[in-house]
Amino acid sequence: MRERPGKSADVFTLSLYLCLMAIGWSMLYSVGYNGGGYQVGITEFLTKTQAGKQTIWVLISLVVFFFTQIIDRKFWQTFAYPIYGFAMLLLIAVLIVGKEIKGATSWFAFGGFSIQPSEFAKFATCLATAAYLSRINVNLKYINAQAIAFGMILLPAALILLQPDAGSALIFFSFLVLFYREGFPANFFILGGSAVLFLILGIMFVEAPLKVVWAILILGNLVLLLNFPNKLYGGLAFAALLITSWLARGEEWANIIPLVIAAATAFLIAGILMLTRLKKKNRVFGIMSSAVLFASALVYLSAFSFDNFLRPHQQARINVWLNPADVDPQGAGYNLNQSKLAISSGGLEGQGFLKGNMTQLDYVPEQTTDFIFTAIGEEQGFIGSLSIIVFFLLLLHRITVIAERQRSAFVRCYAYGVAGILFLHFVVNIGMTMGLMPIIGIPLPFISKGGSALLGFSLMIGVLLKMDRHRTET
Amino acid sequence: MSDSNQNRQQIIRIVFLLAGAFLLLRAADLQLLDDTYHNKSTAIAVGKYTLYPSRGLIYDRNGKLLTNNNPVYDVMVTYNQVDAGMDSLKLADILGLKMPDFRKRLNKDFRNYRYSKSKPFVFVSTVSAQTAALLQESLYEFPGFFVQTRNVRGYPHRNAAHVLGYIREVTPKEVKELDYRPGDYIGGSGLELEYEKELRGVQGSRFVLKDNLGREVSPYKDGENDTLAVSGKDLISSIDIELQKYGEELMQNKTGSIVAIEPATGEILAMISAPTYNPNLMTINRERGKFYNALLVDSLKPLFNRAVMAKYPPGSIFKSVIGLIGIQLGVVNPYVGMSCPGYYSYNSVRVGCRNHPYPADMGVALKYSCNAYFIDAFRDIVEIESFYKPHIGLDTFDHYLYRFGLGNPLGIDFPQEQKGNVPTSEYYDKIYPRDKGSWKSPTIMSVGIGQGEMEMTGMQMANLAATIANRGHYYVPHLAKKFVDDDFLIDEKYRTPVRVGVEPINFVTVVDGMESVVASGTGRRGQVPEVRTAGKTGTVQNPHGEDHSTFIAFAPVDNPKIAISVYVENSGGGSRYAAPIAGLMMEKYLKGQISDSKKIVDKTMKETDLNGG
Repeated sequence: MRERPGKSADVFTLSLYLCLMAIGWSMLYSVGYNGGGYQVGITEFLTKTQAGKQTIWVLISLVVFFFTQIIDRKFWQTFAYPIYGFAMLLLIAVLIVGKEIKGATSWFAFGGFSIQPSEFAKFATCLATAAYLSRINVNLKYINAQAIAFGMILLPAALILLQPDAGSALIFFSFLVLFYREGFPANFFILGGSAVLFLILGIMFVEAPLKVVWAILILGNLVLLLNFPNKLYGGLAFAALLITSWLARGEEWANIIPLVIAAATAFLIAGILMLTRLKKKNRVFGIMSSAVLFASALVYLSAFSFDNFLRPHQQARINVWLNPADVDPQGAGYNLNQSKLAISSGGLEGQGFLKGNMTQLDYVPEQTTDFIFTAIGEEQGFIGSLSIIVFFLLLLHRITVIAERQRSAFVRCYAYGVAGILFLHFVVNIGMTMGLMPIIGIPLPFISKGGSALLGFSLMIGVLLKMDRHRTET
Repeated sequence: MSDSNQNRQQIIRIVFLLAGAFLLLRAADLQLLDDTYHNKSTAIAVGKYTLYPSRGLIYDRNGKLLTNNNPVYDVMVTYNQVDAGMDSLKLADILGLKMPDFRKRLNKDFRNYRYSKSKPFVFVSTVSAQTAALLQESLYEFPGFFVQTRNVRGYPHRNAAHVLGYIREVTPKEVKELDYRPGDYIGGSGLELEYEKELRGVQGSRFVLKDNLGREVSPYKDGENDTLAVSGKDLISSIDIELQKYGEELMQNKTGSIVAIEPATGEILAMISAPTYNPNLMTINRERGKFYNALLVDSLKPLFNRAVMAKYPPGSIFKSVIGLIGIQLGVVNPYVGMSCPGYYSYNSVRVGCRNHPYPADMGVALKYSCNAYFIDAFRDIVEIESFYKPHIGLDTFDHYLYRFGLGNPLGIDFPQEQKGNVPTSEYYDKIYPRDKGSWKSPTIMSVGIGQGEMEMTGMQMANLAATIANRGHYYVPHLAKKFVDDDFLIDEKYRTPVRVGVEPINFVTVVDGMESVVASGTGRRGQVPEVRTAGKTGTVQNPHGEDHSTFIAFAPVDNPKIAISVYVENSGGGSRYAAPIAGLMMEKYLKGQISDSKKIVDKTMKETDLNGG
């Protein structure tokens, strides 16, 4: 049966897609310009320079995009699991026959080009999880559905971790956005988010985890006292605790141990009062004391693991992110430092296309891939940064709108999968160039150099738009 | 289709928006508000200048400077700041380079991790002060190039090369394992190596923002990451440079060593290894490789520190040790004589002796260095249990030798000290297995006259002299007295006396004998006018040529200020060179000058050329 032609593709999404790709290509052109220009013929430009190679990848991606528009939309849903299986086989195969670049066996090499199967695996996992979650009998409130859903994203993540490519493996956690949308219990996100927060705090205060414990106790006190029937007494008691803490603080928090003891005592007294006087509020104290213990344990676990289990170069990599003052600006901190300097030197208006000092003189390491945002920051300034960030937000918002207007649960799930993947890439990549996120090598979608990634993202957008064109059909 | 989670779409959109806002705020912070990077539009990189601390100086015991620090200049370059259109010819001309060499130095293999186009590397190392000054004037024409100043050693005295040692660039292995960076200097031998940690100091660093021509734009983060260099500590060594210098003069054109120790402290007053070299040849400059290679291939091995690394048979000086141990064990009565027929024989083995008067006691035996007497004494020690259990006697003997600091390194504060050798019963058991007749005291009797397997370093010989001077104890010899402006005390082990297990009373006859050696015996030429001196000569048979001459001594006898060992290779009997050189050294140290009566000896010693040069 021939498919009906459907509506035209979502113009808004399509133009953002093309626009981001064009911006990416011109930034790559600028990085490769090196202040002097391209003194090569057209053939050499296309085969030897990074902007030239990217030109070819852009063309290939457009062809792929075109094919997604003529392939039957049902194909993807019908073959979601086989495609996923094929992707997993590729991930296994790359471990065996793949080519090692910079210590990771992540590539299949064909002549001058190489392909990264992990990019394709993102798309395939998107299809498969969507297919699974859209089944009528699957409910993410239940443990078996949760286990299977997690299994589907952890399998590719684990295979990619073997390459090893921690950055790409981490990306599979972006499916949490989809899981959340499809009803995964919110408590899980609250607990997980807090756990990550305390682990990070443990490393930031690795010299004195007690400071964090003190802060946790103060918060615990606050919650307990807010649950007192007489808010005035509770408030006063809490204020007294804060003031004494502040007075006893001393130089460089040298008195942290008595402070922690004071806060813990106050916490216990409040708890005992609650248990004896207000029988009904028992649960609050129970929950809060578990929370305080759990959080403190996490902080200590994280500080201890950081000191004892991580090797110096791993510590350095984390310190670049969380404790930048401890890092040699010319050693472990060099990349991030150059990145921040480049972005910062753009100012409001930027230094102009092909005119960024650091970009043109090749002063930012990995600038075509992980640090492509620095070229935008330096040459286009804050206006450029703002535009890119807004473009991405618009694209992400538009995808959620597309998702929500579907009749098919499969397409909605697929759209949220795509949104999650794009979102995590966008936040982590731009965040890491400015020191907000740890430096893990993942590309900025549509912008960074790299054929596999561009192809993968084009496939995702193309399939999404194709399915959206037929949203009114069943 | 039921969808109970509709409301969650808003939360997802809010999370997206908040994350975007977070990024945007950070971008605004960096690009609009942050003034960390002053003059933003021109800065392209954070540059790091290493501030090299000045290395600690080394003084002699009287405060005379032995090393100083001289500036040298390295021309550095950052590849991608170099202006392709600059006047390369002019720069090459200033630096005295030919163009092909110039290009080779600039175009490093940037695929090698050691070089980066954006980090400075050494273009030409150690250029002269004039070249550096000339270059400074026209540096503005050559973006990317700059001059870095560092200190290298200079030696005002040209002496004590082995004692001081040299500094060199670190090896890649040291960079990996220790806290050094490529191009740093490190002590390579001698005191420079031993006290590297103290002398080195701590490097500082200064971070600056640089523009695309490598010019400094401003301090980075107002200097909050900067650290100052901390100079190394100055070392006061125990060496007396005048004595050291005199010893080197006496030993010129000879091969061997002199070690002089202050017995009351163990401080090493002089440590001479001949032939030596001028330490200024080993200072870091562009000629160094040439000199270093010349020293390496020299057949007399001037880089070999004979005072601590050469193992020599001690010869007759070892008789003093045999006498002391024999008395302490009670197997030798020092007041009983023994007739010497002019040789010592056991079955078919025969060791000759000189024709000398009757050794009426141990003193006389030492005075004439009677072989028969001390072989007999040695055999008495080895047979302490019985003739058939020599290993018990030899083990007992060795026990004392180890306490004298023989057979093991003394533990001086100096690299590469050798341990000498002590003959052990295990060793003889291996050569003469017990099932094949084993060995007995006569088998090893050559040890009794300091030949055979017995070996000592010059340092151990001087320490033996110091032990006898102290009548039974020594301080581990050492070269460091203290560090200037510091409450640093030398290690406990250099301040604790080591007792050798021979009672002071048992030294009387040996010291008397050694005094008569110098007064009227084999060591007469080692006399120090008006100072009572004790000594012992040694002549070491050398199957390869002339015998080696050795002498240990100390003076004054009653209150020893100096103990000394002299070893002169291939020079004949101990009385011919070793004794007179030791006498002159002691006189120089005790009196500050050589008396007229000794001037002729002084002249002869200095002029004698035993190396056939």
